Amino acid sequence: MESILKVSGLTGGYSPRRPVLHDITFEVKAGEMIGLIGLNGAGKSTTIKHLLGLMKPQTGEVRIDGVTLEEETERYRSAFAYVPETPVLFDELTVEEHLRLTGMAYSVKDANYEERVEELLKQFQMVPKRKAFASHLSKGMKQKVMIMNALLAEPPLYIIDEPFLGLDPLGIRSLLERLVEVKEKGAAILMSSHILSTVEAYCDRFIVMHHGRIVAIGTLEDVRRAAGMEMRGGSLEDAFYKLVTGGNA
Amino acid sequence: MDNDRTLGALWHRRGKAFREETFPYFRYMGQSGFPAFMSLFVISSAIGYIGLIRNMPADFPFAAVGIIALTLVLCWSPLRTWLAAGDTVFLMPREAEMNGYLRLSFRYTTIGCSVLAAIVFLLYLPIYSQGPALNGAWMLAAVAAGLKAANVWGAWKERQMSWPGMRRLLRALRWALTALTLAAWLTSVLWHAAVFTLLLGVLYMMLYRLPSKHRFPWERLIDEEARTRKRYYAFFGLFIDVPTLPSSIAKRSYLTWLLRMIRYTNRHTFVFLYSASLMRTEMGGIIVRLLFLGCLITYWFAEAVSLSGYGSVISFAVFMGLIAVQLGGLRHVHRYSVWKHVYPLPEKQRIDQSLKVDRFAMLLCTALLWLFAALPLALSGVYMPSIVAAALAAVYLMIRPGRLRKKLALEEEED
Repeated sequence: MESILKVSGLTGGYSPRRPVLHDITFEVKAGEMIGLIGLNGAGKSTTIKHLLGLMKPQTGEVRIDGVTLEEETERYRSAFAYVPETPVLFDELTVEEHLRLTGMAYSVKDANYEERVEELLKQFQMVPKRKAFASHLSKGMKQKVMIMNALLAEPPLYIIDEPFLGLDPLGIRSLLERLVEVKEKGAAILMSSHILSTVEAYCDRFIVMHHGRIVAIGTLEDVRRAAGMEMRGGSLEDAFYKLVTGGNA
Repeated sequence: MDNDRTLGALWHRRGKAFREETFPYFRYMGQSGFPAFMSLFVISSAIGYIGLIRNMPADFPFAAVGIIALTLVLCWSPLRTWLAAGDTVFLMPREAEMNGYLRLSFRYTTIGCSVLAAIVFLLYLPIYSQGPALNGAWMLAAVAAGLKAANVWGAWKERQMSWPGMRRLLRALRWALTALTLAAWLTSVLWHAAVFTLLLGVLYMMLYRLPSKHRFPWERLIDEEARTRKRYYAFFGLFIDVPTLPSSIAKRSYLTWLLRMIRYTNRHTFVFLYSASLMRTEMGGIIVRLLFLGCLITYWFAEAVSLSGYGSVISFAVFMGLIAVQLGGLRHVHRYSVWKHVYPLPEKQRIDQSLKVDRFAMLLCTALLWLFAALPLALSGVYMPSIVAAALAAVYLMIRPGRLRKKLALEEEED
């Protein structure tokens, strides 16, 4: 399968003397959903910032759709949509206007635009709020707007940071259904989350980060093996605890 | 008593903290050309004022000027409480003791805006006394003081109201009733005006009794305080980089059609975003108010053909300058937005499109201001000042994009 995101030997952080990330290497292929998990401060958000191009790698490189940010900025950026952990919306735009802005930025074709917007608004129960300003929405609704924007763009790669925070049960279900749908159509998804049961149920592979390093990567079997649990089975949560506490949990 | 003292001390500490926080920005403002510009504005206004007092035209709109000037300063009743979002957790349990805290806020803000009202009143008196002056100056002063007190009381009652719609309605009514009362005292004899005021006063008291109210309007006061802070920072932002505060948004439905006219294409992404920001943020509000005031004052100068018509050119230039300075803030609006880096659009496109919005807005405001100078002057058969104003505006509009582009490039490098 074609690799949409390829991170090789990434070391980076806020200061060259004290890198937060150490030699991170992984890839996300088309039609694959990867769960990025780790404790608070493990380096998940810093990794995502490097993928977005908000931070520059000290060593190593990030390739999206085969190019680095420096090589082809527009191709790199148009290949992914991002859902941040905390919704970042424009207070001066309504829900509909956010979708319009995303449609314009990602060149969503005029012919499909209306239909897709209606579908997303319905699916995320946001039809009554379509004219509401971002500043008047609850946190969960803001998160829904972020997710709807990402889904409207239909890029080859979705980078999703803690998408379930503040979402109501219907919103969580709609999001997961849509993620499965876009994955089946061939999109790649990198999703960071602390809800390990959901990550286990929906993701194909997992990246476990601890103190800025990848301590396990691969399928559930691979993660269990890295945790020394290959013989006795167990959930992702069990393996994760073992990996981050050294078996002292 | 101890608690009262503690809350009082908290009020003073917060006031001091705000002054200390804003002091450096006042210094930056002092170092810019703004004080010189304001001094020039005050001096030229003073010369114009003295000239007007000495040669008052017989047809001067004595009452209209008094009604507008006094209504503005008598109705404006802000309240600095220094309250912040966290206070609903930390101070709310002590709501019963908040009277002393609020009393300090009332004293602080009412003194400030009463002094402003007194200055405007004293400036208006020489104009008033050259008109019909149906009532004595002392009587007028007493009425103004009474109206100020009623407005401070009314503004507090509005803050207590539970429904925003009702609050806005009663605020509009308070301004209208104040203007009507002033009109009565400036155009009628004492007993007519007194009876009219009494009737309006009774109506006013009855209306304010009706709606449902909060005992202590926490959310309203916190919101008002946040807005005031934002205004300070929006002002300081004209001179130096300031911390980004969440922006206040107004729907301004009457401008939404402009947004709908922007074509749905990738090339207009930032035109759409910057236009929405301009229309709906505090900046747009200030520009709309400046434009309205500018059109009004320019029209007055043009209609009176003051200084052979060049009075309106000065007013046109001053308001165009003020609008230009405000509009300059647009380039900072999304300066630190994460989407600037995430959207698949070249940086140059963002700069070009923000300049496009700036150019369109500046052109629209300038054209409107110019019409309010040129039309009344043309009706009086005076054309030269309008041509001079148009030429000045054209030169400025031509050099502005280049200057803004340089500033933007410099700021991008700094970032």
